[in-house]
Amino acid sequence: MKRCAIALALALSLSARAEPLIVSKAVDMRQAMDDITLAAANHDLVLVKLQPIDTALAKRGFENPHIRILFIGSESAVRWAEAAEPRLLNLLPLRLTLMQREGQMTVMSDDFSPWLKEFPDAPAHLMIEAWQAELKAMLDDFVRQ
Amino acid sequence: MKYRIPHFFLILLTTWLVQVQLVQAAEPEPMVLTATAKGRSMEQAVEALSQAIVNHNYTFVRQQAMDSRLVPYEQEVRSVRLVYFCNFAKMNHALKLDPRATQMLPCRITLVETPSGVDLIAVNPAWVSQNMGNPALHAECETLKLDYLAILEEASL
Repeated sequence: MKRCAIALALALSLSARAEPLIVSKAVDMRQAMDDITLAAANHDLVLVKLQPIDTALAKRGFENPHIRILFIGSESAVRWAEAAEPRLLNLLPLRLTLMQREGQMTVMSDDFSPWLKEFPDAPAHLMIEAWQAELKAMLDDFVRQ
Repeated sequence: MKYRIPHFFLILLTTWLVQVQLVQAAEPEPMVLTATAKGRSMEQAVEALSQAIVNHNYTFVRQQAMDSRLVPYEQEVRSVRLVYFCNFAKMNHALKLDPRATQMLPCRITLVETPSGVDLIAVNPAWVSQNMGNPALHAECETLKLDYLAILEEASL
């Protein structure tokens, strides 16, 4: 059993390489949307588009995954990427995944680590870190709403 | 029987770890997949892309400016557009494998107008999945990458 535990710990440490931002609280989808909208506004971020893949899949006869995707952005981020590193436009608008599980709403960002690895130097690296920090602050705000 | 369950669990875990290591040790994937539609306008490129999407069994979801909803409509930049598309069966399958598949959803190609035509750029889904530690999802993303390449090729002909 000890060997199993060691192997499991190793597996978990390897899986931990991917590091999206994740927060959760006990609200339904509608309340989560309201809270995220407010949190985004507090951080000068705009909700660009909601992708209701839960209803899109259910409407086509698939199982409802209780997942929605939310795109969020700011004009300054787009202008910066256009001017300094157009390849970063591929990361914008930023994406949040909303997952409803047993009364808990989990909100998850994309994993920024491959982007940070791909752009090891300033200014792109610093900009990705700034977007990540902005999103983290917004998600913390969402949890507090 | 007392020791068989932990041993079985250990074998499963080892197999999974080996698969994860194989994915991570594989040739690094490029970040983006690109193609150029030479001599085309943005409208022509979007039309050709929309047709290629349908031809490869995907559904066109929407197109928008890069700064859509961030600035008033009349101020939107026309030289960069985003085209979103989806195959619902594939999306359903990927989400069942791993909810982090949303990081590749919906499929997207960014079109950038240049003096010589339109560049079509997509984030390589296999690049995204490479570090996720889920071999089943990575395999799915490698197939998705091939679909992207086929769509990009057809749209840029």
